[in-house]
Order: sequence, then C-alpha cells, then structure tokens
Amino acid sequence: MEQRLIQIMQGSPSFYQNYFNLPQELKVKPLALIGFSGLDIVNNAIHKSVWETFINRNEKAAVSYKLISNTHKFPVIKPKRNSYDWYVPKGILKNNWMIKHLNELPAVIVIFYDLDWKDSLWNEKMIECASRVQSLRAALEGRDTRIVVVLIQNVLPLPEDPLAAERAVALCSSCELNSQSLYILPHGPHLLGYTIRLENTFFEFCQNYYYNCAKNVKLHKDHLNKNTHQYLFVRHQFKMAFFNELKQDIQSAHKHYSLSYNNLLDIRIVDTNALEIRTVAGFISYKICKLMFALNLPRDAIAQFKSHIDKFKNRSGFQELAFEHFAWLSKQYEIFGEIFDDAVKQGLPAVQTQHPGIYYQQGAQYAILRKKACQELCSKIIAYPHPDPLEGIERIDFYGQRLWRPGKMSSEPPEPIVEANGIQALQFLENQINHSSIIISLYGLAIAQYKIYKCPRTRRHLVLQMAEECYDSKDFGKALTLLSHMLSDYREEKWWGIISNILEKAIKCAYLTANVQDYIQLALEILSSSINVALEDKKRIYENLNRIFKKQIPYGDPKLPHDVLQNAIILWQPVFNNVEPSVFTLDMTKIISCVESKLRFTKPTFEIDQKVSIDIFIKTTCPFPLVFSDISLKVNSPCTSNELFIDKSEKKSLIFHPNEVKKFVIEFEADPNDINKEIQIEWMNITIGKDSECLVNLKFETQILNVDNSESKCFQKQGKNSDFNTLKSIHNSIVVPRDSKVNLKFEHDLPALVGECYEVYLLIINEELSAIKDLKVEIYTDDGNSETQFSSLPSMQPEKLPINLPVSQTLEKDSRIRTSIFIRAFNPEICNIHVKIIYTLDSDKPVISIKNEMIILPVVQPFEITTTYVSVLMQEIHKFYAGEEFGVMPLIKFLSPWPIHIENTSIEFLPPLKSLETELHSQIAGLSFNKEEISSEFYLALSEKSSDQNMVVGEYIVTWKRENGASVITRVPLHGYHCDWIPLNLKISAPAHGFVRTPVIIQYHLINHSSHLVQLDVGMEASDGFMFSGYRQSSVSVLPNSTKTLQYNLYPLIAGSVALPRILLTIPENSTDGPALRQDQLNQLIERTIPQYIYVIPQIKGNAELPEIIESREMVLSS
Amino acid sequence: MAVCAAIVGKENSPKFFCCVNPDEELNFQYKVLSSLDIIEEKLNPTNKPGTEIKELYLGMLYSLETCKIYGYVTNTKIKFIIVVDSSNLQLRDNEIRSMFSKIHSEYADMVSNPFYTPGEPITSKLFASSIKNIITGTV
Repeated sequence: MEQRLIQIMQGSPSFYQNYFNLPQELKVKPLALIGFSGLDIVNNAIHKSVWETFINRNEKAAVSYKLISNTHKFPVIKPKRNSYDWYVPKGILKNNWMIKHLNELPAVIVIFYDLDWKDSLWNEKMIECASRVQSLRAALEGRDTRIVVVLIQNVLPLPEDPLAAERAVALCSSCELNSQSLYILPHGPHLLGYTIRLENTFFEFCQNYYYNCAKNVKLHKDHLNKNTHQYLFVRHQFKMAFFNELKQDIQSAHKHYSLSYNNLLDIRIVDTNALEIRTVAGFISYKICKLMFALNLPRDAIAQFKSHIDKFKNRSGFQELAFEHFAWLSKQYEIFGEIFDDAVKQGLPAVQTQHPGIYYQQGAQYAILRKKACQELCSKIIAYPHPDPLEGIERIDFYGQRLWRPGKMSSEPPEPIVEANGIQALQFLENQINHSSIIISLYGLAIAQYKIYKCPRTRRHLVLQMAEECYDSKDFGKALTLLSHMLSDYREEKWWGIISNILEKAIKCAYLTANVQDYIQLALEILSSSINVALEDKKRIYENLNRIFKKQIPYGDPKLPHDVLQNAIILWQPVFNNVEPSVFTLDMTKIISCVESKLRFTKPTFEIDQKVSIDIFIKTTCPFPLVFSDISLKVNSPCTSNELFIDKSEKKSLIFHPNEVKKFVIEFEADPNDINKEIQIEWMNITIGKDSECLVNLKFETQILNVDNSESKCFQKQGKNSDFNTLKSIHNSIVVPRDSKVNLKFEHDLPALVGECYEVYLLIINEELSAIKDLKVEIYTDDGNSETQFSSLPSMQPEKLPINLPVSQTLEKDSRIRTSIFIRAFNPEICNIHVKIIYTLDSDKPVISIKNEMIILPVVQPFEITTTYVSVLMQEIHKFYAGEEFGVMPLIKFLSPWPIHIENTSIEFLPPLKSLETELHSQIAGLSFNKEEISSEFYLALSEKSSDQNMVVGEYIVTWKRENGASVITRVPLHGYHCDWIPLNLKISAPAHGFVRTPVIIQYHLINHSSHLVQLDVGMEASDGFMFSGYRQSSVSVLPNSTKTLQYNLYPLIAGSVALPRILLTIPENSTDGPALRQDQLNQLIERTIPQYIYVIPQIKGNAELPEIIESREMVLSS
Repeated sequence: MAVCAAIVGKENSPKFFCCVNPDEELNFQYKVLSSLDIIEEKLNPTNKPGTEIKELYLGMLYSLETCKIYGYVTNTKIKFIIVVDSSNLQLRDNEIRSMFSKIHSEYADMVSNPFYTPGEPITSKLFASSIKNIITGTV
C-alpha cells in the first residue's frame, strides 16, 4: 500500500503537471504523412543517401516522411457504420485520432526497389517487387492510402528506351498499379532534383488523399441528429478541419474549426462534461487563433480569443475543483501569448497596447487565482485516496474526460463515492504543484514583452508583483533583490505611496533574510518623512535599528507568521556572533533617507593663505532622535585627496532631533600646488555606532547637481522653514594665489610721446607683516607684436619681453625700492603694460605671493609736421620747375600736453634738390612750444632736374625734448611735387617800392637754360599808374645758356599799391623752333615770377631823398 | 461615475490622487503609473513627426478587465488621468471629456493660488473635494 502510494506520488504529479498543457499532436503543424517502405538505411549506403536527401532539406513541401518496415502494423480499421441511429458517442475528441493521422497512417506509401531496366534477374525481381506491393496492400486493406513504387536505378534512363517502356508496363501490370504510380529514381549526381520532383508528386497524392478523407467525414453528416449526436457534430467538423490542415488548405481548415467551435458552444454544459467541453474548446480555439495569425488576421484572432474567454470565464464546473478552471484560464492566456509571440517572430507588428505580454500577464493573474483557490480548497487534503481513482490514465479514450468516469454519458448520474475520491485525488495533486514558480515564470515572460513594447512602468509593476510572489513562496532573498532594483526608478518619479509600500515589503524581506546592510539602509529610508508608514511601525523600525547598532538581533514584524519569524531569528543568530566589530558601508547617494545634507564651500575661490572652509548642513527627518558618531568629508584636488573630519571638540552635539538642522564647518589649508586648480567634495560620510560594536558608514556621494526645476525655483517660498531646502549645495571651489599686500605705485607723466624714451618709475613698498625675499619684478605686455621697445636702462637698449627689472632680492618690512622701466613707442596707441611682482614671504611659512598690476599707457604724437611749398612770390605752389627756386615751409603743430623744447631743426635735401642757402640754420632752435602752437620755418630750395613723380624734398630733422627730458631726434620726410622743366626762366629786379614822380628802374631777366635759341615777342601793356620808357614791343632772341635783360624806366604817377605795366611774352608766329615752349607755360611763368603790383610811396615833402641809382643818374645828367 | 482621478506632473511624479474608495488607492496608483507608459508614448514626438498634438484629450489608454483608464494632457505636460470601472457603461466619451475639462479648470484655479508652489503635491482640501465631486458626478 505504501509502495503504491509512493508510486502514485512519483507518477501522478508528472501526469498532473501536463494535465493542462495542450497535447503535442495538437501543437505541431500538421504535415502530410508519407511512408517509405523498402529503404534499408542501416546497411545500404544508396538507400541512406536517398533517405537523407528526402528528409534533410530546408525547403520541403509540407510533408513528413516515415520509414515503414515490412512488418509494420497499421491501425486497425474500424467497421463501417451504416446508421448512427443507435450510436451514442462517448466523448468529443478521441485522443488517438490526431496521432493516428499524423504519425501512423500515411497518405501515400512509397515502395523503393532497386531495379534497373537491364537487370539480368529482371523477372525474378519484378515478381518480388509485386509481392511487396501485394503484402502492403493487404496490410492497408480498406484504407485509401495510395501505393507508389519507386525504382532506384544505377543507370541513367535513356530517352525513348523501348525495353524500359515494355518492362515498365509489365511491372505495373504485375503489381496491379496504374502507370502513374511507377517512378524511377536514378541514383546519380542529380539526386536532389529528382527528389524534389518526386516529393511534389507525392504531396499532390497526399492532398488528394486528405481531400477524400474530409469528403468521407462529410458524408456522415446526413446520418446525425441534433439530439444525441451533438458531440459528433463537433468531432466531424474537427476532423474535416484537421484533414484540410494536413492538406495545407488553411482557409478551409479555419472554416471547419470555426464550425466545430460553434457546434461545441451549442452543447449544454453541466458539471460532468464541463471539463471535456472546456478542454476541447481550448483546443479548437487554439487552432482557430493560430490559423488566423497564419492568415494574417491578428485582430480576428484576438477577438476570437476574447470571446472564447468570455464564454468560458464563468463556467467553472465543480466548485471543489475551481482551481482547475483557473488553471485552464491561465493556460489559455499563456498559450495565446505564445501564439501571439510566434506570430510576432514571424513578422507581425505588435503595438504597445496589444502585445503578447498582456496575455502572459493575464495568465499570471489567473495562476494567482488558481493558487488562491488551491489554498482554499486543497490545504486540508493530506492523504491520497485509495483505491487510486486516477488509475488507468492510459485507458482514457477522449480528451478532457474524468479519469474515474471514462466514456460515461454526461447525463448519467455520478457515483458519489467515486466522484468524491476523484476530486480528493485531484485536490491532493493540485496541492503538490509549485504555483509560485508557474506565476513567476509567467511574470517573467510578461516582463520581457513589456520591455520590448516600451512600458517601463508597467514592467516595474510586474516585477513588483513577481517579487510579491517570490515573497509568498518564501524566496525572500529574490524578493528583496527585485524590490530594491525597482526602488530607484520609483524614487526618480517620487511616487511616495508606492515607495512606502515597497519599502515595507523590502524591509520584511531584509529582516527575514537577516540582511543587515539592506535592513539598515531600508530602515533609514523608511524613517524619512516622505515615506508614509504608520508611526508605530516607524518606531519599531527605529528601535530595531538601534538594536542593530548595539549588535542585538532586531525584533521582527509582529504581523509575520510565527514560523517565518522563527526561521529569521535562526538566521540572525550568527550575524552578530563574531567578536570583531561589524562595519557596514551604505551608499546613500541616491536614497532619499531620513538624513539630508547640504555641503557647500563658503566661497567660490579661496586664497592659498586662507583656510578653505566647507559648511555642512545636516537635517534629519526621522521622527526620533538620531545619534551620529562622526562626520567626515572627502575632498579631492588634482594633487591631493584628503578625508577631513569635523572637529568633535566643538561643543555641538551629534544628537539630531526631528527636523533639526545643524551646521558644521570643516576648515583646512589648501596645498600650494593646487593653486588655480579646482577642489571638489567627493563624498560625505556619516558614521553611526561605535567602533567596538557596530559601525555604519553612510556615504553620500556628491552628485553632479541636476538643475533644479526652474519652475519650482521661481515659486519657492522664501520663508524661514524652507531655509534648508533653499540652500544650494556647492561642491567645488578653486584655490587661488594669495592677495599680495605689497604696494606698487607708478610715477610717470602721461601720456607718452611717440619716439621719446618714456620712463615709468615703479615704487614698491612692502606693506606685508614680514620681510620679503626672492623679489622679482616682471614686465610684459598683452601683445607681442607691438614695435614698442622696452628697456630696463635709460640707454634704451631694447630688451625682449618679459623683462625682469633689476631690483634687490629682498625688501625689509615697510621699506621701499624704486626702479624704472623705459619705453619707446613708435605708434600712437594705448599700450597695456603688466607688472607682475613675485616674491616669497620671509616668514615661517614661505608663501609665494603674486601681485599683478597694469599700466595703461596712452601714446600720443608730440607734434604734427606739415609742409607747404611757395613760389618766390610767396604763393603756394603745387608743382616745381627745374631751375626755378621755391620756398620750403615746414610747419610744426605741437600736440603734446607738455611743453616741448626744440633744440634744433634742419633740412637735409635730397638731390636733385638743393638748398640755395650756403649755411642752413634753424629758425626756431631754442624755443619752447605749448600745446596747439604752431611753428614754421622757411628754406629756399631749387630742383636741378625735372621729375615726373612727386619728389621727396628731403628730411626734416627735429631735435626736441620735454622740459628736463632727454632729447629726441624726429626725422620726417618732406614730400614735394613733381618737377617740370621749361627752357625759359624769368626774373625781375625791382626795388621794394617806388616814390611818386621818381623814376624806378625795373629789369626783366630772361634766362634761357636750354641749349637752343629762344625767340620771343616781348610787349609791355600800358598802365595808368606809370609812364615808362623802354621797348614797348620788341622781338627778343635769347641765346642758349645766356640771359637777356630788358630794362624799363618807370615813372610812377600815383601812390598806393599800383599795378605794374604787364609784361607780355608771346611766341612769335613764324617761330621755327619746336614746341619747346608753349604760350600757357609762358603765361604761368609770368604769373609765378612777376609781381603784379608795386608799392608807390607819395613824394616826400621838401627835398626828396632820391634813391641812389636815380641820384647818381641825376648827377650824371647835371654834370 | 469614475472611481479614481489623478494629476501627474511634468516629470511624471504624482501631484494629486483621489480615489472614491481609499482602500484601493495603492492599486490604482499602480494602474495610473502603468498608463503613463502609454501617455509617454503618445506624447513622444518622434512617433508622429510633424504633427503637434493639439488635442489635449488622449482618449482611452487602457482597457483592463476591471477598469478603463482615460488620459488628458495639458499644454504644460500636466497629465490628468481618470479611471472608470469596466462595468460602468453609462459614461461615454463625451462625459469623460467634460470631466477632464472640469478638472482642468479646477486645476488652473488651484495653480493660481499664491499659496501653492507649482510642482509640489497638491494638498488643498477644497481642491480635493471639488475633484471628488467631479468624478462622482455630483456637480
């Protein structure tokens, strides 16, 4: 008896686990079955290769091959029934029927036979072949299975071989086959091609066969009546559908399955047949959905499934076996999920709201209901009934029938004892099932799908449900892992209600697995004010936390069942047994725990001699006081990395009361190597507990500050309470050099003048508290391109920047030194000169200090030089004439705000220009000029040659200095005009003035400096102011390189500025000379050289003093 | 009559939650959270390039066996979600729409309150009671 029970316990559960699965024969894709007879694949290599060519191909027709031995027994054919009148079906679907057609009853049998047309033993072999055909035909008596003979030949067939044709006919007749049933398979290089063609032919035969099968089934329909044969309506439609499926006509198959399903729905469901109808409905619905997906009708498939579920959802059958119903529902969802998933893998696009995951999820939901039903119904069943009501599973003929009432009509009343035993057996078996693993695996499938279809939140929810199930199945460790993985996502979106719920579960798991680290962490999170947990629970957790800090086992949740608590306590025992202190380090960075902190550097920059200070603000939102033992910070800089502790000697206690904010300050000295580098806080560590007992480090890493919601920042209340919340953490700062206390003064007279050697005095006064040493004064500028010269010496020897000014290395306290920098700028611009003083404090702590100053130095021109050129008549000219003298007038306009002393000026003429003065001396030397004053000078010059281009007259050299300054020489090039050449020059010799009625002698000199003769007509116009003597009109020839003088004696008649008689020079009309001289040139020459007016002074009363020349003349006359 | 209404902020954190039956709050929170997946997907501009969503009402997000979930998103990406019992067939799309627009106007009034900091969870009792009235259909 006991042995028997063990046997059941071993055998039945495995049967029971498959109880709800679909049978394999239903799930496989139906393929037409073809039997191969006469192939000896073990001993015959040729047969083996033929067989393998048939079965090992990727693109096969929808057929499956089966080797049939000679002794094979086919299923026995049942006697044909002529009338269904007295036939009462015992069930809906026979469970061997599909297997029979899939695996046992071929649609076509192929007899392979080695026979060449020219075989020497042709007759004997033909007879043997015929006998084989006969024996198979006998075995298949009554079936429509088609028999085909394939001759395997070694010789390739010849076209139109009369022997072959003759022998083929003979073979056919001896085998009693028609000629379409004989094929030849030459075993040679083209085996593959032959097999494909054979296969297609075989498949056609199969289709015919199955078509006939379906037709035969259809014929039965007329014999059925609706009252007694409802099951047969279902069965026959199912069979037709299945045949059509074997035939690969899925359209028709779908049609017949649908009809079958509808016939099934017509059957009245009672407790006794509920299981069978449900099972068969599941089968048919499975087929329908699968075919609909194959026909690319996913919406219809989903609709079919939904209506299928709707129809059967509430038909639970036996109340005592409610779990069976839920198991079936769960399975339906799971199976549909699988079909859906398969269809997706075949390329069906699924969407976020309709994908396989939804069905897996529902499956899981029903699996949970199954579990609940099981717990309700089966928990009391502890014994397996005897005798075994489930004995003889093999004998059940129909799908979905109760094992203890096989083949009984649903109308037959149940036998109460058998029934009760059967139910008890099932309940017992159900109780053995590991429901949680089913649920968890379904959740696993659903989670994977939800991940694909971008539902992160739904997925998280499923993970939580999975965790719940793990918890239920007492797999607390896994539950804790799942829960803590999900927590971070929920934290991000701040769903506090959900977080609280998760935390409560997680801490239970942590407790039950004696996971101290997680327990502490979760406890700290639960104690935070954002978490909505009952205060008494918080209090319990708080007390437990304190117990852990003292290495005591915490108390469990009183709501937990006793045995679970017991186990947990056993787990906790060894945790604190070791003598060494336990140290736990918790990463609190991403956790919104009951300890909140803000860290900030008090300044954005710290000078090197200052202490860097960091404010630590800590607030606890725990409703009970928390005691910390230490707080430390890790501060990193490129050169160093230090852990800094708060000063515990401070009287600030480390007991934190609820919502209390405490501020701690950490100060330290920065490393001088970190100057101009960034220092950062890496983490803050809060220690709880004692070294001797249990030490917990809460590590708060400083995160990259996520930019606060700008919206909430704008609206943040500026109240007292929100002080802590509005504090901004500052996690980095920069170390900068110390601020120097050296005083640097500049003494100079702005602006600098272009070209001068400008001196800037630097006065360095040590106002530090100690002497300084290693003093360096460095000069540099912003741009290196400037032509400005710098020098440390008054000699103005240009030096390269940066220049170190010569100063003494040390400087006593309160003493001062002077030094100078000399600058010569060549362009008027603003020059930025940097002065950098570097030194070391001569004290205990040698700190390098740097002082930077800048001189902004505007450079201006001291003066501006312009030049004008004038003719001998002091009229401005814009053209020079070779050989004609002209005046050069340099004008200096002084611009310097400081008076400028001119030491000397001179002109250096450039040939061909030359000065007409024997000794050039400056006319303004020794004078001083103020701003805006203008000086001018006059030099006579003459060009010896003509020039087409503007001539450079020469250089004007001004030697100048500031008052008391060093002298500077400024050279300015004088730009002139181009120089023309004409052969004639004209000069007048006339006195500066004349007297009324006193003769004045005027001479006109016509100078020919060409090598040609110049002939001119000279005329003198009459004038009202003068009487004159001399040629009124004459023709003059001026010899080459000589001068002709025309003299006129003028007798002024009136006083004043009187117009002189105009001289007219014209070129004679008949002149033979070339156009060396033009009339307009002559006119210009006159205009340039001959004054138009002369001053005539009234006659002196009394004895007029005659001009010398006239006096002498008079003397000549009188004598 | 709806069974639950929720207001979810821009960053998907809950701002307000109201259940007719407070015992079911946690359950509904999970459901609302799951429906945010659908909203996110609907609001994702890469899905329908070029078509700016002008309609605030998103329609039904989820139809579960026990309940139906409807969504509505304001221009500032504040999400309103209403959960209706599946057995309730009286509520039609139009009524849900009008419910949403009532909630929207209540919300707009609430945000205008100078004592409310935008982005914080809504704690106003008046607001809670008016939302409750809207979803239970007593106004």
